[in-house]
Amino acid sequence: MKPILVIGGGITGVTAAVELAETGKEVILIEKKSYLGGKVIQMHNYFPKLCPPACGMEINFRRIKNNSRITVMTHTELAAVSGKKGAFTVNLKTVSRYVNDLCTACGECVAICPVERPDSFNYNYGLTRAIYLPHPLAYPQRYEIDDNFCEGESCGKCVEICKYDAIDLNAKPLEKEIEVHSIIGATGWENYDASKISGLNYNKSLDIVTNVEFEILLSDKGPGEGKLVRPSDGKPPKSIAFVQCAGSRDENYLPYCSAVCCSASLKHALNIADMLPDTKVSIHYVDLRVTGRNEDFLRRVEETKNIELVKGKIARVDVDPESNVLYVEAENIAEGLKKKEAVDMVVLATGIVPTANIPGTIKNDDNFMLTNQQNGIYPAGCAKKPMDVSTSVKDGTAAALKAMGK
Amino acid sequence: MLDLRPDIEFKKELERISGAPLNTCMQCGTCSVVCNLSPDVKPFPRKEMVYAGWGMSDKLIGNPDVWLCHQCGDCSTHCPRGVNPADVLSATRQLTYRKYAMPLFMGKLLGKPGLLPIAILIPVLIIAGIIFAAGTLKIPEGPVNYSLFFPHAWLNASFSVITLLSYLLACFGFGRFWKDMNIHHSGTGPKMGLFRSFWGVKNDIFAHSRFKKCEENSSRKVSHFLVFYGFILLLLVTIFAIYAAITEKYPLALTNPFKIMGNLSSLMLFTGLGIMIYNRIVAKPGSERSTYTDWLLLGSMFLLTASGVIVEMARFLDWSLAYYLYFFHLVCVWFVIIYLPYTKFGHIIYRTIAMTYAFSGRRK
Repeated sequence: MKPILVIGGGITGVTAAVELAETGKEVILIEKKSYLGGKVIQMHNYFPKLCPPACGMEINFRRIKNNSRITVMTHTELAAVSGKKGAFTVNLKTVSRYVNDLCTACGECVAICPVERPDSFNYNYGLTRAIYLPHPLAYPQRYEIDDNFCEGESCGKCVEICKYDAIDLNAKPLEKEIEVHSIIGATGWENYDASKISGLNYNKSLDIVTNVEFEILLSDKGPGEGKLVRPSDGKPPKSIAFVQCAGSRDENYLPYCSAVCCSASLKHALNIADMLPDTKVSIHYVDLRVTGRNEDFLRRVEETKNIELVKGKIARVDVDPESNVLYVEAENIAEGLKKKEAVDMVVLATGIVPTANIPGTIKNDDNFMLTNQQNGIYPAGCAKKPMDVSTSVKDGTAAALKAMGK
Repeated sequence: MLDLRPDIEFKKELERISGAPLNTCMQCGTCSVVCNLSPDVKPFPRKEMVYAGWGMSDKLIGNPDVWLCHQCGDCSTHCPRGVNPADVLSATRQLTYRKYAMPLFMGKLLGKPGLLPIAILIPVLIIAGIIFAAGTLKIPEGPVNYSLFFPHAWLNASFSVITLLSYLLACFGFGRFWKDMNIHHSGTGPKMGLFRSFWGVKNDIFAHSRFKKCEENSSRKVSHFLVFYGFILLLLVTIFAIYAAITEKYPLALTNPFKIMGNLSSLMLFTGLGIMIYNRIVAKPGSERSTYTDWLLLGSMFLLTASGVIVEMARFLDWSLAYYLYFFHLVCVWFVIIYLPYTKFGHIIYRTIAMTYAFSGRRK
């Protein structure tokens, strides 16, 4: 059997690749970014267990590392596909990272690099040099150069200092045509662009953040380095309001429900209660869509001090430019009162937008790939519909099973 | 006690008129927040959307809040589900005219497009009957002189009587409306005297001060202002004209201050109505739904103004069609004035009552 192509190195794709390889199939795992782990590796911790995702991801990386049947190609995208199940011809395009596999991640180059860039892995909180390790647990553990910032050969300091000949500033993009048996499309998601939502004023204050950005603020990679602080002034927030369905279930923006944002905000509330027990948290929801085992999680949140769950969507967030105080406006539906409340921080629970980009696949109106594609192409994970991590793992396994069939 | 039995027919009618998918509302409350006219305590229109979705007709119709809405459309623009609360409230107001119509069939007569021919036939026959009774039912020869064909004394007297009769009957309906608000929304009920309450809303009515707070479709305020004052001026002129027909030489000279006022007010009406019609057809189609009830009022008022101006010109031009036009003009007068309590024009009464009621309950 020809190898199976897995597109996307997030939790779904990694799961599928590992499962396939461990049943004896050859796997090519391609990833657009320079590292595996996708959105999951950027998270501070999971709901409902509140444990760090890096832990489970590390086990998966080890499984990949020890399995010679998996070929990992980072910085790689699928450009074209033709054929049918059992004999697909795919064209893979790899952009250069300018650092080859001789790199030992010693870090000498970083110390000497004169250019800085926003740390995209941390949602632009903080800076890295133009040559950088994407994040401490990055797999492959290898540096890369951001050519939007690197000054190239005119500088060349990193090339000089590298003892291992690992840096090639003239590296060219590669193109490769291979035959594969079948394709798993685990292309994943991005969070919805909050600046598009009128009335929530995401761009007007540093203290209005999205839920994925809030993950960074909770972690030691954020501006508080492990302490939760307001991005604007570095002080711990005394009150935080969560805007559920920020742009979601809204025909003007994202018409569908992203299924995970409710649980994610509940988790954030518990994180806050843990770090700043006196901080008042209010979660303003349309419906609390917390199902299955997460319902126990909801009970736990309800019993936690200083967390308030309020029915009624926040439709306006105003910023007082002088004092940088934020005002959230919603109808408290249980009380029948329209309220405008001052808070220190606002978290927008933005939804999941699929990044499906496999040529020739059938998508629905919201750009999610349909489950039923041409025989031999199997979408999985959030490329198919919004789902949480554990569901994505199951979906990745299911796709693996389909992909290895004749 | 809260009656939760749904009035399914009412809900269906509401959906038919408003075109709003009532079951799609998810009760998020965005509408209440974005509405600048909605009070902080028990805001609208989120709660009205529950009444609508559950077919709670009594709660919805006997509700002053429905009339605190000026249909700017802010709620519909921001509604995440495309339920268009503004249109639901507008449809509720239409059903209010129908519910409190006295006699009841008048509400149906002017609420259903199929009955329009009958609604036209009634004034045509009655006006022709009056002219016949006066013995002038023959197009006169010579230069146009309306009083040869239209017996002003007869017409003025009979129109006054019929108008008074129509309004007297309608008062029973208005009374029932007030009573229903007291039953179904007693929480917002009167805490102060009627006159003091009315005095409290005078600025909202005469200066359009609430209307100004609309964000979407803000031009509606200007056109409404023009029509509002154009109509009031014209009404004063008409009352004077009835008086003048008895005491002075009729028609009035062009330089008569009342004549000038009349011509000025018809210009205001023309401009205001023109903007309204333009907005509904050209400028923002779909931002607010235009229904039969909307067009009936807008159409009859526009035709009233247009025919009035043409009739005046026809007299100077000695136009032989003038008598027929005058007849048409009288039918328009009937539609606007005598049918007032049963058409959308009734909002001047219902809205005033509801605003007064809300103010008396200190609802702001």
